[in-house]
This record gives sequence, structure tokens and C-alpha cells, in this order.
Amino acid sequence: MSEKNNLSPIEKIKVASKGLRGTLKESLLDEHTGAIREPDEALVKFHGMYQQDDRDRREERETKKLERLYSFMIRLRLPGGFLTPERWLAIHHVAGEHSTGVIKITTRQTIQLHGILKSHVKPTIKAFNDVSLDSIAACGDVNRVVTCNALPSQSHLHPQIHAYADKISQLLLPKTKAYYEIWLDEELVAEKADETDALYRDRYLPRKFKIGIAIPPNNDADVLINDIGLIAIVENNELKGFNIAVGGGLSFTHGNESTYPRLATVIGFTDTEEKTLKTIYEIVTIQRDFGNRSDRKQARLKYTLDKMGVEAFKAELDKRTGFKPEEPKPFAFSQRKDEYGWTKSADGLWHYTAFVENGRVTDDANAATKTGFYEIAKTSKANFRFTCNQNVIVADVIEEDKAEIDALLTQFGIKQFTGSSSAVRLNTVACVAFNTCGLALAEAQRYLPTLITKIEPILNKYGLGDEDVIIRMTGCPNGCGRSTAAEIGFIGTAYGLYNLHIGGDRLGLRLNKKYKENLDEANILSTVDELFKVFAAEKNTGETFGDFSYRKWIQNN
Amino acid sequence: MLAEPKLKIILDLVQSSTKEELIWMNGYISGLINNGKNQEQIVPASPSSAVKKITIAYGTETGNSKKVATEFAVKAKKKGIVAKLVSLDQYKLNDLSKEEYFFTVISTQGEGEPPVGAKKFYEHIHNNGFKVSQMKYGVLALGDTSYPLYCKAGEDVDIQLDKLGGQRIVPLQKCDVDFEQDADAWFDHVLKSLNESAVVAPAVKIQPAVETKKAAGKKYYNGTIITNVNLNDRGSNKQTYHVEVTADEPIEYEPGDALALIPFNKIAVVKEIIALTGVDPALELETAKAKGTVEELLTKNINICYLLSSVIKKYAAITGHQIPDARLDLIELVKKYPVKDTSQFVEVLKSLTPIAPRLYSISSSPNAHSGEVHITVSLNRFLVNNEERLGLCSEFIGGLPVDNNFTFYIHKNRNFRLPAPEKDIIMIGPGTGIAPMRSFLAERDATGASGRNWLFFGEQHFVADFLYQTEIQNWLSTGVLTELSLAFSRDQQEKIYVQHKMKKEAAELFNWIEAGASIYISGTKDPMSKDVENTLLEIIQEQGNKSADEANAYLKKLKDEGRYEKDVY
Repeated sequence: MSEKNNLSPIEKIKVASKGLRGTLKESLLDEHTGAIREPDEALVKFHGMYQQDDRDRREERETKKLERLYSFMIRLRLPGGFLTPERWLAIHHVAGEHSTGVIKITTRQTIQLHGILKSHVKPTIKAFNDVSLDSIAACGDVNRVVTCNALPSQSHLHPQIHAYADKISQLLLPKTKAYYEIWLDEELVAEKADETDALYRDRYLPRKFKIGIAIPPNNDADVLINDIGLIAIVENNELKGFNIAVGGGLSFTHGNESTYPRLATVIGFTDTEEKTLKTIYEIVTIQRDFGNRSDRKQARLKYTLDKMGVEAFKAELDKRTGFKPEEPKPFAFSQRKDEYGWTKSADGLWHYTAFVENGRVTDDANAATKTGFYEIAKTSKANFRFTCNQNVIVADVIEEDKAEIDALLTQFGIKQFTGSSSAVRLNTVACVAFNTCGLALAEAQRYLPTLITKIEPILNKYGLGDEDVIIRMTGCPNGCGRSTAAEIGFIGTAYGLYNLHIGGDRLGLRLNKKYKENLDEANILSTVDELFKVFAAEKNTGETFGDFSYRKWIQNN
Repeated sequence: MLAEPKLKIILDLVQSSTKEELIWMNGYISGLINNGKNQEQIVPASPSSAVKKITIAYGTETGNSKKVATEFAVKAKKKGIVAKLVSLDQYKLNDLSKEEYFFTVISTQGEGEPPVGAKKFYEHIHNNGFKVSQMKYGVLALGDTSYPLYCKAGEDVDIQLDKLGGQRIVPLQKCDVDFEQDADAWFDHVLKSLNESAVVAPAVKIQPAVETKKAAGKKYYNGTIITNVNLNDRGSNKQTYHVEVTADEPIEYEPGDALALIPFNKIAVVKEIIALTGVDPALELETAKAKGTVEELLTKNINICYLLSSVIKKYAAITGHQIPDARLDLIELVKKYPVKDTSQFVEVLKSLTPIAPRLYSISSSPNAHSGEVHITVSLNRFLVNNEERLGLCSEFIGGLPVDNNFTFYIHKNRNFRLPAPEKDIIMIGPGTGIAPMRSFLAERDATGASGRNWLFFGEQHFVADFLYQTEIQNWLSTGVLTELSLAFSRDQQEKIYVQHKMKKEAAELFNWIEAGASIYISGTKDPMSKDVENTLLEIIQEQGNKSADEANAYLKKLKDEGRYEKDVY
């Protein structure tokens, strides 16, 4: 339609925002509402926040003539998902004082806090700033949190490669100082000229932008779901460079055929840091200049790439970088899951990967995870690292301290919960969905644990209890929980109903496909029962559920 | 039939007139004939729309419909149209058949559904069995073309209102995610058609407001509760009930009046008293004020709670017990100091005082909430002998479900009245003091009063205790409220009350007063109204460069002019 040639409303808001300032300061002063002004809702994302409301409470509050129970979700910018114990303590206190209390580990290795009332936002940001943490560009049409394999013991080159996450984050950070002015009451020291942003200019990107790094043979960072995926190429114990993949992204819209999930396409190899960073930068500028700015459902890099064609895209990239990348190097992944328990890295440090179901750090019937991590942080003898599977690594523990940390993990039930959870549960991922996510059509993190409890006996019945089947659930098709990149994906369509996707591979190299629509719980369980029954009876030796279900039900249909 | 000179005048007039003017004259003359009234009622044509009152209802999920509807209301008000802006989740479904100009802005969710808050409305219009024959309507549908059932909810509303007998005066407009331009154009179309449809029937109903003569004596109404909601959210220390009441006959009241409610005693307690004393519940009895069976009198007429010490003295005299001076309930008395026999108890009954009516400031407006009267009742908690007790009346009304009946009368409050429509008002009404202010605001909104309105409201917590928040927000966004100052005492370390907000706005507040604004205070007498009054005096002193005596005289003058009125308790 003709409107599609126009800029989307968000584009207009960005341009008019005076460096992402909008009327945020005024919004914070509006006493009559817990919400911010509408254009500011788009802008606040660039500052790492979403305005949300408690969807469980909407109808009840409506009858009470009260507005929706608005609050804010704040997401930290933690490239590569790393925190010192001091920072963990700070977050622990902020969560208790200003948010729901739950510390949520996201699928992009960072932390977000929910339920922060408007009047508590500034104190929260201030408390983060006091320990040099920020939420700049954690959401919005910019480069988001850069992800990377989390576990140091996976490669002796981990520190070197992991450092790229921070470098890339810095390279692509917006230049505006609005964050400091609005949330930290800093004087407008910088003249407007100092904020000139050669990369983002005044319109930023057409849509969110994600970058991830993988160190083969592990793909726990799910690297190909990113707009840019970097695959580290290691030869003779040396980092040779990175394969560059572009155009990944999982979000789509139910009923909208022109939207689709897509894995990134590997387009080349760069051998030096300078070339790698230059390539990344110019991929971003291509997206900036060629991305669709009228239809946000067609705005991700994957659509830009498919519209241009891979060859034309590469040609444009070469023109911008001034060099041609080399042919991609061969690489192979062997797993995508987290290595739970203690592992030791080449530098002699110990790391304990703890299972945190759906990333919710809290004290519950399973384990006193929140108190446990708090006590561990108080010893100052471990760092905290987060995985893209929403788990926490109590990391960088020296040999002498290992027993003490181990005792704490045991004391608070963290070790027991990690050790006793089933293979299928340990491989789950779920997004937040209800009650705070405005996009959710169905439950995810509040429901998946109970659904798994009902799936476990089915797996056991067919002798599949040790299978590492990757099950992921999202409350909508936007894919925060990467449900289309799972062996079994549940994607919410309406409250209590899910589309069932199967046929994705175990390593994150093939997406799944829709198998059944709008299943309620009874239908989910009967369908899953049937699938596992056939799988147990007919699978080849060593064949994963993902590969089997693809061959059996998806490939030829 | 007309003589030559008259015929010439009319032909000249007809030839020189536009079509609209002719339609207007047609309607005007037929109005004259029907009314049999004389020319006083001619209203000169103004550039503003002739339709004076419309309703704009919105069903929203993401807030877009609300935003659009609010913009429309503001636009309409600028044209001199009284636009009632209402969210469909708050909309009284029974009002539909009374609507004359009804415009809906509604979005569509997922599989072609209406927003959650609009579901009841949506289902209601799909149930036949009623007509909206006087309704002229239009629908603006918001949606997203990337969904297959684009704007389905809006389409359905448009079709259903037609089926129910409504007259569509503007075609359905569907809007995609970039709705601004289409929505604006549609509403311009609405405004234009309002102008046109209005001239069809100018038979001006404008009649001088007849001062209804108040009947001598109290008029008792049999009230029926149609809505009863606790406005405070979970986690609040308060329970404030918003109670909507209808009666068998039209309720006559004005903004500022109070509703006098006679609560019933708790049946369980009454039964226990009857059992303890052995009195025959069916025994016919006559007290000073009422007549009926013992059970009826105990339930509806006689006060049995928290008896006055004079009443307890009488009880002691009748029963011969030694009773220390304290205030007790009748049930406690008959337990601790039993009556000798039933005839002694009958004597006690005759000595008891009647249940006193409780006065509640009315929170509705006769023009905005036709046929209804609303009250705002805070559950009254107090300590007796270190035990928490609930006020009989507030507990009675708070616990009374929809469809229950009770007796009430209107208590006139001539010392709490709105000024002329063009005058400004300053309303200071924290807590349930909001009640008459809501009445004032709704009245001024419904009648299109041009004076400015400033509300000071306060409570404990923003999240849980902001009484009538969504209504107040609507008045703010449509400009009915010029200024809004809020004080939530317990959301921060230091306590902030309305008087602190007044101090903060001292200069502007004094400007308003100097410019002729009237000041209203409602809520608790002590300490609120006193603190507020002292603050007012301080502001007058400081801003007006006056001595303490001069400030007192200034405030007294306002009082004498009817510009400083209080409804405190």
C-alpha cells in the first residue's frame, strides 16, 4: 500500500528526539500517571528500558478506575555476560529495593529487572551507575548486548575472543549523552556538536541489531540467530580470525507470510581485528542505509539481505570496507548446551555452571538460588558469567577457594537442583511473556516448568530420559526464547494455545518448522507422546530427535 | 395563504439563503409550531457546531485508540461541543439506547477480537433485544494490515449498531498502524456531518432552567445499588467504595449535595440479640420514631452499635445493673448485663435511639450520570478498647452487593455550590474529599462550563489509592482539568500532603484567587481542612503582602461572597 513508502511512526519519533531525549524528563515529572508519554515509550528502549504493565491486573484495575499498573523493565548492557561479585551484590540490592526481586538472566547473557515503578527508575539507574553498570542501548534500534560463549574452560583463547564482545559493543555505542542527562541528572556538558554520531546519525537503525560470537565446537551462543554472527577460527591454538555470518533473526508474525525466521549466512572470513571490526561496522552502515524504514516488520537485516541478494550485499560491503574478505573457513559445532557442574580452564581456574530454570534467579522450592549467589558474591571469590541458555556460571574460582564455593552451592541447594534436573529440563529456554511482556499471546516462563514436569514421564516411558532434546517456549513469535531454533518449539498463539514446531537440529544450524497449530495442553501432551513413541521405535543409533523428526515429518511435507 | 408583503419577504429570504440556512429555518419554524413558544428562544447561528453533545467511546489495548479518541474530544471541545470521552470498559451499557451522537474508536486484536476492555460492550451489541433508534453514529477502526482479520472488531461494531437501528452518519474508516492522517480526516468528516445533521433539527430545546421547587419535608427514595467497587487496589491500607445507585423515581439533586443513608444493622447480630433475650421477633412494637416487629425495628430502625453513655445509663436503670461509663454495643450489654425477662427488654428497646442517617457527599453529577447518584465511601475503621471496629454504615454499604436496596434521601448543601459556569474553581479534596469534586468536574464537563478547574488530590499511595484515576486523567487530557496537583503521602521518605502542593504552587494559586476563583475544601475536618486553611492564609499573606489580620479578613470576604466553601467531616 502507498503508506508503506512513508516512514514508520517510530522513525519520525527518532528523528525528532533530540538525541533520544524526547520528552523523557517531562514524562518523569507527570504525576498523574505511572506511564511515560507515548513517543517516549519508543525512546526509552534506547536507554535499555521497556515500559510494561502487569497484564494479570488489567481488568481488575479497570473496574477500580485505576490505570494499568505500569512499570519498567531495565536491561543491563553486559557484553559477553560478565559481572564482578561487587556488581552482583549491587544488582541484588537494587532488585530487592526497586523491582520484583527476581533477577532475570536473559537469553542474551544479560540481566533484566522487572516491575520498577516510574518513580524508582532514576534511583535504580543511579545505583547501577555507582558500580559502573549501564543500560545504554540494551534495547532499541541499535546494536544490542553482544553475546559470546560464556564458559572460559571451553577454550584457552576464551579471554582473547571474549574481549571482542566488549570491543564491538564500544564500537557501536550511540554517541548521545542523553542517558546521563535524563537518568543521572548530569549537566548538559557536551555541546550538541560533540554528540555527532557518524554511525547512527539521527535515525539510528531501522530495527534492533544483534551480534553474537561463537567459539567452535560450542554453539551455546546460538550464533546464527544474530544479525551478525562471528565464528572464531582457531588453528594451532591460535586465533586466526572470524567467519562472518549475516542476516540471522528469528522473529516473525503469525499470519504474515512475508515475515520469517532466518539463520545467518556465512559470507566470508576476516583475519585481523581491524578488518573484523571494520567489516562489522560497515555491515551496520549497510543496514542503516538500505534497511526498510516504513514497515518495521520488514526492517531487520535479514530482509535487507534477502531483498538485495547475498552477492549484491557482499559487493556493497566490499565497496564500503575497501577490501574483500577471504573465503569462509571450515568449522564444526558439536554442541549447543551448557556444561553443567565444575569445569577447569587452561589457566587453572574453576567454573561452576549452575542451572537456573528459565533464568529466574530467586529463592523457591527448588533452590535458594538468589540467597546462594548473594552469599557467594559476598566472599568476593568468584565472578558471575551468564550463558545464552539463561544459566549462571560461578566463575574464575582459584583452586584454594573451590571447596568453599562448592559448600555454598550445596548449602543453598543450587548443586542439588542442577544435579537432579532431567536432561530435557536442563535444555529448556523460555522468554518472559506474561505477566509483563506486552507482546505475549500466551504464557512462557511461568508455564514451561510445569509442562516439562508433564513431558518428563513421557520421555521416561520410551526410555528417552537421557536425551538432550532442546525444548524452548515463547509467548509470541518474536523469538526472544529462540523457539524456532529448537528441536521442539512451542510458540504461543493465544492464551493457553501453542503452535508446535519440530525438526530443528541440536546444534543450531537448521530451524524447525510448524507441525501442529493451536494446541492446548492435552493436545500438546498427546502429540508429544506420539512423536516420542515413533522416535524411540524408529531412530537410528545416535540420531537426535531434531534430525529424526526432520527426516520423518518435515523434510518431505 | 400569505399576503403579498409577507410572501415577498419570505421569497427574498429563501432566494438569498444557502441550503443549510433553509434547513435551519425549516427546523426552527417547525420547532416554534410544536413548542408554541415565542421568539425568545432564537439562538444566533454561531460558527461552532450546532450539535452540543456527543459521546466518544474507545476500546484500547495498546493505548492508540485512547490517544485518538482523546484528541477527538479535545478537538470537539474546541468547537464548543460537549464531548463525553469514555473508555468502553467503563461504559454503561444501558446508556446505549439513550445515546444521540455516539462515536467509537476501537482496535482489533489477534484473531479479529476487540480489546479485552471492550469485550463486554462488543458482546452486548451482539445481543439483540434492544434498539438504539435515536443514535447517530460513526466508527473508526484501528488495526494492522499484516493481520488477516484487519480491523474486524471495528467492522463488527459498525454493522451491529446499524442492525440495532442506529443511523450511520459517517462511513466506517479503517486505519493501519500509521493511523494519524486517516483518523484526523475521519473526525473532520464527523465534525462536518455534525454541523449538517444539527441544522436539521434546531428546534431549540433551550429552555430557561426551571428552578425545581423542592417539596416540603424529606423525600425518601428506595435505592438500588447498580455498582459497588472498592477503588483501592490490592496492598492498600484503605477501602474506598464507589457506589452507584438508582431509584424508582428520578432523583433530584445538585452537585454539592449529600446522600443521607440509613444503614441496616447486621442480621446475624440482631438474631443473636433476639436469641439471647428470648424476645419474640414477630412482636409488634411502636417506638418514638417507628413501628414494626421487633426484628424489623432492630434491623432497620434502632441503633444497637456503640451506644451513647446516656443510653447505657438508661439500660442500667431499667435492668438494675451497675454498668461503668463506657460505650458498648447492645449485644455486649445483653451478654454482660442480661435483662430479667422479655418485657424488660421491650422496655430497653423503647429507650434506644433510632439509627442516625449517615451523610455522604454525592460524587456524581445529574447531567453526567443521568438517573444515578454515586457516593464514595471510605470504610471507617476505629479502635474501641484497643479492638478494631468498622463503622456500621461504611461496612453496610461497602458490603452491600449489586441489586440490594436501601433507603436514602437527598441532603441539600446550599453552602457547597458551583459558581457561574465561566468562573474558575479550585478544589482541594484529598481522600474521600474527592467525592463532591468529581461531581463538580463531571457536571462542568457535561455542561461545557468554560471556567478553569484546578484539583488538589492526595492519598497514601499513587499505585493503590489514586481514587478515580482514569476519570481524572481523562479530564486532564480533554482540558476539563486545567491544573492537577497530587500528593501521595507515603510514596517517599517525607510525608507530602495537599497543603505542601498548595505551597509549591502558591503564586499561581493566588493568581487564580485574585482572578475570581472559588475555593472548595472537602474531606476530613481535622487535621486536613485546618492545615489547608492555614496554608491558604499563609499564601494570601505572602503572595498578597498582607498581615495575618488582613489575610484573615481576605479569606472572610471570600467566604461572605460564597467563594470559599467547605464540606468537611
